Amino acid sequence: MEPLLNFFLIDDSAFDLFIYEKLLIKSGITNSVKTFNSARDALKHLIAQAESLPDTIILLDLQMPDMNGFEFIDEFDQLPETLRQKIRIFMLSSTIDTRDIEKAKASQHIIDLLPKPLEIPFLKKKLAI
Amino acid sequence: MSEKAITILYIDDEEHNLHSFKASFRKQYDITITSSVVEAEQMLDEKDFCIILADQRMPGLTGVQFFEKIRTKFPKPIRILITGHTDIGAAIDAINKGEVFRFIDKPWDYKYVENAISNAYDIYKTREDLKQRNIELQKANEELDKFVYSASHDLRAPLMSVLGIVNLALLEEDVKSQNEYLELIRQSVKKLDTFIINIIDYYKNARGVPVVTDISFEELVTEVQATIQYLPEYGNLKMTTDIQQDGIFHSDVMKLRIIFNNLINNAIKFQDKNKPNPFVHLTVKSTDSDAQIIVEDNGTGIKESDQDKIFKMFYRAGATNSGSGIGLYIVHEAIAKLGGEISVTSKIGQGSIFEINIPSINK
Repeated sequence: MEPLLNFFLIDDSAFDLFIYEKLLIKSGITNSVKTFNSARDALKHLIAQAESLPDTIILLDLQMPDMNGFEFIDEFDQLPETLRQKIRIFMLSSTIDTRDIEKAKASQHIIDLLPKPLEIPFLKKKLAI
Repeated sequence: MSEKAITILYIDDEEHNLHSFKASFRKQYDITITSSVVEAEQMLDEKDFCIILADQRMPGLTGVQFFEKIRTKFPKPIRILITGHTDIGAAIDAINKGEVFRFIDKPWDYKYVENAISNAYDIYKTREDLKQRNIELQKANEELDKFVYSASHDLRAPLMSVLGIVNLALLEEDVKSQNEYLELIRQSVKKLDTFIINIIDYYKNARGVPVVTDISFEELVTEVQATIQYLPEYGNLKMTTDIQQDGIFHSDVMKLRIIFNNLINNAIKFQDKNKPNPFVHLTVKSTDSDAQIIVEDNGTGIKESDQDKIFKMFYRAGATNSGSGIGLYIVHEAIAKLGGEISVTSKIGQGSIFEINIPSINK
């Protein structure tokens, strides 16, 4: 039995937060999903938690007002190494723009870009579980 | 002086030529004269000229040499050379090399010079217009690029949400939750539909032919109110209106509808759920020449740093429940097309006031 994973969902769409929280829990890979409707709030939470943060997987939306997914990544880059090591980030977006896709691929902090809607088998494959 | 569109710099070492030129043409053109090529260069630095006239035979530099020298730094003015018969070879050479647009024979004839200046100005104007068009085109292309990017997101995102909900619903055996999912699908489809309507509004506003009619603000507001009061987001918002119309106001009813619709919808969408008496108050004061429209609410308000950005295309202020960021852009465009202005004053947590002033369009 694999240990359960901790998830953060960052998305400005209340729908998508609702859907993917349910989906993740139903899939059985996690029983801990924290949702954030603003990337800035999520960032604040990460900084506040610091060392006490358990290993976490972040599913990060791209197009959001105020701070978008890539801007979040820029801020994430400034966090201490010890904190960053606990976190794995996937971008979860409906974008089909090649510039976005290239940029996500090129980012050293983004493991992969997962298309919306999230497919659990695909996520499992990416997580190698 | 500045009202004359055609600015001319004339360089000639013979003072009396300068003065007779100025005397002949000063009523038509904005003329600057100098007998020194050094001074001429300084003048080019200080002022924009449409046309430069230069004598060929000058001590120090010839007219052609002067043009060669300034051409790269001041490419805009059209260059005309003034020559005597003996210099015609040099003048032809200069024309062929593209150094000068035309040459004028000495002694010059009034009609001939006027014609040369008029032709030169046509070219100057055409080039400037072309440059302006290019800038506008570039801007339009950038906007289009942005538009396609954001529109594709706003069209796909709700669809992908629906697909996500469907996937989730398929995993669910409980019929009760199925209904919950259907409700979410309904909302998502609604959102998509709103966006499509916005896009059509935007297109109609940007490209459509304006139809100017007599406007009854009372009717228009009643009509807009009728479409919104059954929206589920309406809640217990109280909408009040105060409409005073004196005289016949002419405008494009389509654009006005877009303006009212978006502003009132925003007031509904961004009402402060924590306040006991959410309201939106609409004031219209119209004469036969101007209309002032004020939409005031006690909603969530707009951050000061966002206030100058909210009219930009696809700019979404931080609000969670924000739309696609196209509504206020369309409002701004519509008002600009009507020759009016919009301003906003807002305090976060207190509410927002949008003020619009538009002139009546004379048919």
